[in-house]
Amino acid sequence: MQHMTEEQLVAHYYHDDDAPAAAASHLLECAECRAQYETIRRVLTLVGDAPVPERGEQYAGEVWTRLRWKLGARKRRAQWTSFVAAAAVLAIAFFAGVWWHMRVAPPPPAERAAVGGGATSIQPVAATRQAQDRVLLVVVGDHLESSERMLAELANANPKKDFDVSSGRAADLVASNRMYRQTAATRGDQRIAALLSDLEPILVELSHAGKTLSPDELAAIQKRIESKQLLTKVRVMTAQPAPPTNSNSL
Amino acid sequence: MEVTDLAAVSRARSGDSDAFRLLVEKHSRVIFRVAYRMTGNEHDADDVVQETFLRAYRQLDSFEERANFSTWLHRIAVNCSLDLLRARGRHDKNRTPLTDGRDDEEREVEIASSDPQPDRLLLSAELQKHVAAAMEKLSGNERTAFVLRHFEGMPVEEIGQTLGIQVNAAKHTIFRAVRKLREALEPLVRPNPCNT
Repeated sequence: MQHMTEEQLVAHYYHDDDAPAAAASHLLECAECRAQYETIRRVLTLVGDAPVPERGEQYAGEVWTRLRWKLGARKRRAQWTSFVAAAAVLAIAFFAGVWWHMRVAPPPPAERAAVGGGATSIQPVAATRQAQDRVLLVVVGDHLESSERMLAELANANPKKDFDVSSGRAADLVASNRMYRQTAATRGDQRIAALLSDLEPILVELSHAGKTLSPDELAAIQKRIESKQLLTKVRVMTAQPAPPTNSNSL
Repeated sequence: MEVTDLAAVSRARSGDSDAFRLLVEKHSRVIFRVAYRMTGNEHDADDVVQETFLRAYRQLDSFEERANFSTWLHRIAVNCSLDLLRARGRHDKNRTPLTDGRDDEEREVEIASSDPQPDRLLLSAELQKHVAAAMEKLSGNERTAFVLRHFEGMPVEEIGQTLGIQVNAAKHTIFRAVRKLREALEPLVRPNPCNT
């Protein structure tokens, strides 16, 4: 009688053998193979008895809680990356606009006459600054309109009920607000920079507020919006006329 | 059930994090068990579970829908475990070859709750030490193949897929693992002639 190999015995133990009935029959007849098989079975039973620490029903929730933070961070990083790209495009557009405006638009006749004329040469500088201000306004226009919508929702919300916050939207606004505020400050556009500085703490607070604002939190924010006349200031700024194109060159 | 996994994967791919949460809820305990068997350490196993789902999330686009999500996840888990074991081998070569991160006293206390006989406790703890030491002698592939076949009951074909080897090679890897375990543990399981 040919004995089973150790590999065949292991395969039989795991039901991975090609002819299990023949193997079973052989084990009934052959004491030597049966003893070998019994040893393998005992060893594997001993290994299988090694305990695994229990993880309760709440384990999945714990895993998710830790994991969600990491997935969120990855998502926020992606959002941040795309925001930086968008901000770069906007900044390039802004400075290109300023450059283009300075090149294309000649000074008005009065200013042209004053060029090189002592104290009156301040006028073209002021005109250029005003034009830059307007270009910046166009660039930040979308941002201010989005902020205005959010402020209006807050200002008009029922102070006796919870307010649903879109914290993701607020976080995006915070990021763009910072970029525009810094650009405006660098350019010396103090009016825009000041408005964005007033706006930023509200946006930051909303971005950190979680899903809802309680009536007390909502009332506090409404009070701050009102005391700083933020909504009015934003509306005034967004209502400013668009920068002149080539009208000065006519 | 598999349809549910596929549907959840599809939704998770399109940015639905709740769908991914369903997958975590369904598979995390199984993955912990595999990770623990692979690493032999509770805290390492927790880390492996985290890393497994993180990698799975990042690689969702590479998951082929005709594949089995559970097998795919197991593959990631064993790779994470092997990475960890390799790192542990590099950085902790002088570590006592064992076990699940607990000392003997802790093990004995744990066993004591299920069996109050002191001599039996010591014997169980000693056996577990030997089992853990024998498991640590297996190569990465052997350990993976053995854990998946013996503890998880995974078919040899899927083990082959997990390890990226042919079915026969997977069978042989399992056999090598069992032979090594047998060599190490056979003296402990020989029937006592006095009792027969």
